[in-house]
Amino acid sequence: MRTDAKIRTLLLAVAVLLLAALPALASGAVGETATAFKLKGVDGKTYSLADLKGKVVVLEWVNPNCPFSDRHAREKTMSDLVKQHGEVVWLGINSSSAQSGEYVKPADYQTYIQKNGINYAVLYDESGTVGHAYGARTTPHMFIIGKDGKIAYNGAIDDDPAGRKARPERVNYVGGGLNAEKTGKNPDPAATKPYGCSVKY
Amino acid sequence: MNPSKIAILSAAVLAPFFAPSSAQGAASAWSVNPQSRVRLISPWQVAPRGGELVLGLQFRLAPGWHVYWKNSGDAGFPPVVTFQPAEILGKPELLWPTPSRFELPGGLVAFGYEGEVVYPVHATVWPDALPSPAASPAGAGSFFIKADLDYLTCKIDCVPYRYRLTLEQPLGDQSVTDPETSPLLQTWIDRLPRSVADVPDLELSTLLDASRPGAPELEIRLRGVTAQPGKTDLFLESNESLDAGKPRVKVFPESVIFHVPLKPREVGKPLPAKIVLAWTASNLSRNGESFALESRHEVGVWTAAAPKPGERNQPPAQSPSRVVQLVLWALLGGALLNLSPTVLALLVCEVLALRQVGRTGVREGAAAAATGIVGACWGFAALALATRQTGWPAGFGSQLQEPALGALFAVAAAWLALNLWGLVEVPLAPAGASRTGTGRHLLAGLFTVPLGLAWPVPMLREPLGYALGRGPAMVGAVFAVVGFGLALPYLILALVPAVVRPPSSPAAWVSRLREGLGFLAGASTLWILHDLSREVSPEGLAWIELSLLGMALLAWLRARAGSGKAWRFALALGLAACAAGVLWLADHNRLAPRAEAARALFPNRKPFNGLPPAVREPIPNQTSGG
Repeated sequence: MRTDAKIRTLLLAVAVLLLAALPALASGAVGETATAFKLKGVDGKTYSLADLKGKVVVLEWVNPNCPFSDRHAREKTMSDLVKQHGEVVWLGINSSSAQSGEYVKPADYQTYIQKNGINYAVLYDESGTVGHAYGARTTPHMFIIGKDGKIAYNGAIDDDPAGRKARPERVNYVGGGLNAEKTGKNPDPAATKPYGCSVKY
Repeated sequence: MNPSKIAILSAAVLAPFFAPSSAQGAASAWSVNPQSRVRLISPWQVAPRGGELVLGLQFRLAPGWHVYWKNSGDAGFPPVVTFQPAEILGKPELLWPTPSRFELPGGLVAFGYEGEVVYPVHATVWPDALPSPAASPAGAGSFFIKADLDYLTCKIDCVPYRYRLTLEQPLGDQSVTDPETSPLLQTWIDRLPRSVADVPDLELSTLLDASRPGAPELEIRLRGVTAQPGKTDLFLESNESLDAGKPRVKVFPESVIFHVPLKPREVGKPLPAKIVLAWTASNLSRNGESFALESRHEVGVWTAAAPKPGERNQPPAQSPSRVVQLVLWALLGGALLNLSPTVLALLVCEVLALRQVGRTGVREGAAAAATGIVGACWGFAALALATRQTGWPAGFGSQLQEPALGALFAVAAAWLALNLWGLVEVPLAPAGASRTGTGRHLLAGLFTVPLGLAWPVPMLREPLGYALGRGPAMVGAVFAVVGFGLALPYLILALVPAVVRPPSSPAAWVSRLREGLGFLAGASTLWILHDLSREVSPEGLAWIELSLLGMALLAWLRARAGSGKAWRFALALGLAACAAGVLWLADHNRLAPRAEAARALFPNRKPFNGLPPAVREPIPNQTSGG
């Protein structure tokens, strides 16, 4: 093999390795620029993060078959926050794989949305690409993206995994984070441990 | 747990053994659901009035379902329980037996228990708050213990449950043990991890290496315990500023090193100089006794600006006679590597090739091969120094415990097999006089080293370990001595070329011998893969083997591809990609063993020959306990 051919082989091998390592580089840590995505919603519209530049965006990983996600839907934890923070764009993302036993078809999800009065768009990420890019682990797993496009909060919705406390007694991290964003401050805490079911990649 | 606490717990649970027993139960009713059943147990049918009381929260789970450890992992949450009456029991503490690791779809992980688990609960009964003995027909009284429990059980799906468990605990001056629950509880108390301070002569050092921005790594070294490859695991408790990845576990004869990749939850936020971390290490043993360890302590955060704590402590100087002995061992060990199957195969082919050139050619070719060997040894010395900086444990005898290095050796052995079978034309072992040349012998020399270093010759452990605990000059010198040992046959040939005599006529047996030796190299590949199976999952090993098979297929196609340059180039690319693929698969912790699968497949795995005690810089005296 000639030298230039050897170099080409080496470069290609390096490129293959780098491409393969890309998923490992994504993390969704606070302070990182939020990974851009374009996903289709159960309403048939396409949502792109790039179109929401300059707005505060909340991403909520959802799964109606997960008891935690379902409890918060029934208790309207998220929907009430959407009402309180009208300026915020709230997006639910369903990263359940179509092969997973908990996959819900978009049409059935639409029924679920109506039944529970969910007042925000729910997007489908069946390949799990966006979920992995953000490091989404649980349903629910919450992210606040600030106006600067950077992740401002990553973690749980509140401090009550078991749902033991009455709603006013819970510390709602996302609610607190959005209030902080409004006043130009950083959410505190900016990162917590999310709880719930695992995302069904 | 602190040392006194485990003794108190054991005493509290063992006490019932010395009391008379009766047939009455000491447990709440089971709360049952399709996935699990749970109850509260007490070791006492009649408990003493006051003092330590150890209860148990007993779960029985349907196959495949699990409940959680105090750090549930990527998802889930641990059981939450509150006990009443608080005025009698205070605030009992839930204790956590050593967990298992569960791999979930999407690369997620959970920590917990399947089958059956009893979480011991440590309480103290306040005698003054107990009901009056006169209030009970038995004359000693009893009280109701109520546990409000929330827990989550998961398989792939998750189901949360909430129960109130109620246990009536009789009290009396004559305490009575329960023959079922008391030994059961003791079994699970025995499975609680021991405090580091509770294990004598155990050395612990920890370091959080934050020198690489955004990718800190925790290193925990334990010396004085035996770990089990594929079984020993490390579980980190949740930390508010860091998420933990899957640990890499390096097992040595009487020590173990864990490397845990960490991910800061906030980028750009500097870590404090010290950080409190808590962890549990499972499946350790000493003197035939198995146990788990736990520790919670401040860990120093090392940044590139500060010297590593361990580096301040240089190993003690060796006496001159000891150094001479180590050099001799390095030379002999290097020479012994020539007897390893792959090196021997290459050596035989080299000698056969050198037979076909004149005396000058023999001298030049042998000298070139020896130069290649010593040069490659220096290359490996540089690699050992570089990996030591990045936190890999360096040392001879542990090389196959690093999946990427093991995979590199497997690729080298497979490449040699393909070469001997005539499928890869890179002339490692030139077949005919027309293909010999100084450069080709140099290449064969270079290639000899990755073939040789795959073999754990015990004699090399101490000299290489000694060198790796010191500076670059010593590392380079000792590796060079090993190289001279490995190159000894070539050095003899260079000095006495008459040792090989040219053949009178070309013999067909030479090519048959080459092909036969190819099978020896193939068998060596399988041996290396077998050793790699301790470090990677069965699925991962299958992928590595497939990549090697792909390498062989592409080599075969290329050997028969005729003169079409583009086609041959494409096949060469594929061949290189397959070889790189083997290394890629073995790296990035992709193929670390799935504990359960590995346990089922290899129940009797033995630890790989490892490092001697003084291999790296000594563990600093910054030891600490639970």
